[in-house]
Amino acid sequence: MTGGYTETTPAALDAPAAARARGRSRRPSNGRAGGAAATATGLLLATAAADEGGPAAALPWGDGTLLRRLLEQLADLGVRRAHVVCRPQWERELRPSADGLGVSLELHVSAGPAEDLRIVARLARAARGATVLAHADIVTHREALAGLLADPRIPTGILATGGNIGQPFVQTTRTMRGRTVSAASAYHAVDAPNAGFLGVVKVSPDDAPVLAEAAERLASLVEGPLPPGWEGELERKRAAWRRWLAAARTADEDDGPPRFAAGWLADAEAGAAAGEDVALTADEESELARRAAVAPADVVSLLLVGLVRAGTHVGNSYLRRLFWARPLSREGVAEAAERITEHDEHRVLLESAVKANDGFFTTFFVSPYSKYLARWAARRGWTPNAVTLVSLVIGLLAAAAFAVGDRAGLVAGAILLQIAFTADCVDGQLARYTRTFSKFGAWLDSVFDRAKEYAVFAGLALGASSAGDDVWLLAGCALTLQTVRHAVAFSYATAHREAIGGVRQPPLEQPRDASDRRLRLSASGPFAVTEAVAPADPRPAPAPASRGRSLLGELPVRGLAAWRVIDRLPGARWVKRMVAFPIGERFAAVSITAALWSPRVTFVVLLAWGSLALVYGIAGLVLRSLSR
Amino acid sequence: MTASTSTTALAGRPQSVLDLYRDDGPLARAVGGALGARLRLPPLVLVAAGAAPLLAVLAVGGADVPLAAVGAVVAWTVLLGALSQGRAHDDRFAWAVPVVLRLVEYAGLLWLGALAGADAVPAAFALLAVLAFRHYDIVYRLRYQGVSPPAWLGVVAGGWDGRLVLGFVLLAAGTLPAGFFAAAIALAVVLAAESAAGWSRFARAQRPALYSDEEDENQ
Repeated sequence: MTGGYTETTPAALDAPAAARARGRSRRPSNGRAGGAAATATGLLLATAAADEGGPAAALPWGDGTLLRRLLEQLADLGVRRAHVVCRPQWERELRPSADGLGVSLELHVSAGPAEDLRIVARLARAARGATVLAHADIVTHREALAGLLADPRIPTGILATGGNIGQPFVQTTRTMRGRTVSAASAYHAVDAPNAGFLGVVKVSPDDAPVLAEAAERLASLVEGPLPPGWEGELERKRAAWRRWLAAARTADEDDGPPRFAAGWLADAEAGAAAGEDVALTADEESELARRAAVAPADVVSLLLVGLVRAGTHVGNSYLRRLFWARPLSREGVAEAAERITEHDEHRVLLESAVKANDGFFTTFFVSPYSKYLARWAARRGWTPNAVTLVSLVIGLLAAAAFAVGDRAGLVAGAILLQIAFTADCVDGQLARYTRTFSKFGAWLDSVFDRAKEYAVFAGLALGASSAGDDVWLLAGCALTLQTVRHAVAFSYATAHREAIGGVRQPPLEQPRDASDRRLRLSASGPFAVTEAVAPADPRPAPAPASRGRSLLGELPVRGLAAWRVIDRLPGARWVKRMVAFPIGERFAAVSITAALWSPRVTFVVLLAWGSLALVYGIAGLVLRSLSR
Repeated sequence: MTASTSTTALAGRPQSVLDLYRDDGPLARAVGGALGARLRLPPLVLVAAGAAPLLAVLAVGGADVPLAAVGAVVAWTVLLGALSQGRAHDDRFAWAVPVVLRLVEYAGLLWLGALAGADAVPAAFALLAVLAFRHYDIVYRLRYQGVSPPAWLGVVAGGWDGRLVLGFVLLAAGTLPAGFFAAAIALAVVLAAESAAGWSRFARAQRPALYSDEEDENQ
């Protein structure tokens, strides 16, 4: 399998609580990453200078350095070999960082970005397992790294953030359907960013040759005179950061630092054109100078652009509510050390086991307690598949109870169905909590969900028949409607994914990205944030370019824009999710109507609500298809 | 749609995922392969035109329709759906094609069952439940294994086209309830066995597959 990951590795399970509670001698911590990342190699860039001189990676952290902290975290995730690229005379400061860690460290001295890239190319060619490419001077939680390195579902991917971490200096990306379709570097722009790149890339062995090729190509580009537009793009970023720093100074304490979105770049451009001057304090000027000096030498971002432009499937692992920083001074390290303790790693692990885009009923009535059940199951050593199976059995029992047909049967069925649904939520949360992802388990979970639902339909129809009410036709209609609704979601997702994959990426020399209409539409998912207007930024997000469309052609685009405005109304998100009639709402509707009234009422409600959801869903997709 | 895309369609265009989702049987493939390229219409227009009479009949209740008329409706639906098989699914509404095919098949089989009498409806439900497994399996196997169920399975299962024709034949022969039950049981056995075999093959030869928790899952 790609990435050297085995399927059911209880990979890098940092549920220390789970191991502890088991009471038995746990496996040695270095075995926890399993066969998982055992063959992974770290490729760390320690080329950024600290304010005080010397490499930022050698800034002190506790008894060691930033690099030592990162190596320790990576070693715990199975990275046993690390190559560190640094500037001349920095080896002495960096070498002790690996002492006693059980990581074989190799230092590579390089004079500048072009040489950095050549070293990366050489190492990528020699890579046998996964390659972890990262800045050597980032400060984050082990859990954040584990989310990327230990997830077998992401052969090649990045550590990303969709939230506002108050960091304009993080290069942006655009992600669609879980795939990074555009990435920025000092010299490359993202047309409509919706996420930020946090300086860690995992590259599968299959994609390593692409990485090597991109590195060589980039080396030749940064070596000579820069391609046209590159300097201008860097200048544009510098101006935008300047504006952001000024805005951050006056930002409201409670709102936090302003979100850095696409608008800043456009505004900076307009401001510069108008001859506007943004004044900064001395501190801010030095911060700007520091970041602007580091950006052009950021080969990690350049290489990400290289991978994306080569058409590589680059996935995302999100930071969630964990901490991330790239301090380039002692002062910055001290601040990071203070702030990182405000985050409870294990709390976040449990919270993020809950799917971000679940429906209303699941989110508010099941997940609040099911995540504790998931933790309990993890401590007992239950596997997600066992829970899936239990859920199916209870679901079938619910169907059998419904089939009895009398009031007691209907009430019992209703209760059993809710228990089955809770177990169904627990299995996924357990898998995410313990990172025990198995493809078979995921398939089983999906298929059993449908099996439970349709078995319950049959049970209800049987029960109604024995009570003298023939509702088989209604049951058949409900099954048809549900299958058709799923077919809509599957087909559209597939067509959309193929459209995204079919977008031609521009060559590396071009600062601008593909700017393809297909890449602008329907950023979905929990992190589609940049389209929302930041609180500190009262200007509306720029409207999508109309690209010479007729008035009639503009209608769907306008409709879609209105759709998104409604999205931003408080509470509208939940109303929309309820209208979409997800599984939690459906099972709740079945339980309530069957227990209180009759199977006939159940089917009528399912058909009415489901039809509304179908019409609503299709309307949205038709709008999107039209504005393509 | 350009002429070049329709030529590729005739030459047997590479299967896209939407093709797999269509779940065509040998009949639709034969008709679509032979005639589809001649009709320069988007596939959605064809399947929608095919679905129109069926949905119209259902809208007015669908009861007491003479057998000949039932046959005509089924034949029209199958013919136009089959013609769309030969068209490239690359326009912006192509995603709706498998959806319409799913709708005509399930609604059609349910209608044929209802026409055979109230006792036949549970049999139709059983058949639909087994077909639902087939259709979800196509999607989920592709998502989680990175491969689709084998092509022979599509032939054995008959495709949406073959099943609609079978339903009409059973109705005309007056053996629909027993026929649907038998078809449901036989298909369930084949599908379950193939799925089990597919997963044990997969376990032996790990293939990379990209998947993520998606909103599709939630609906």
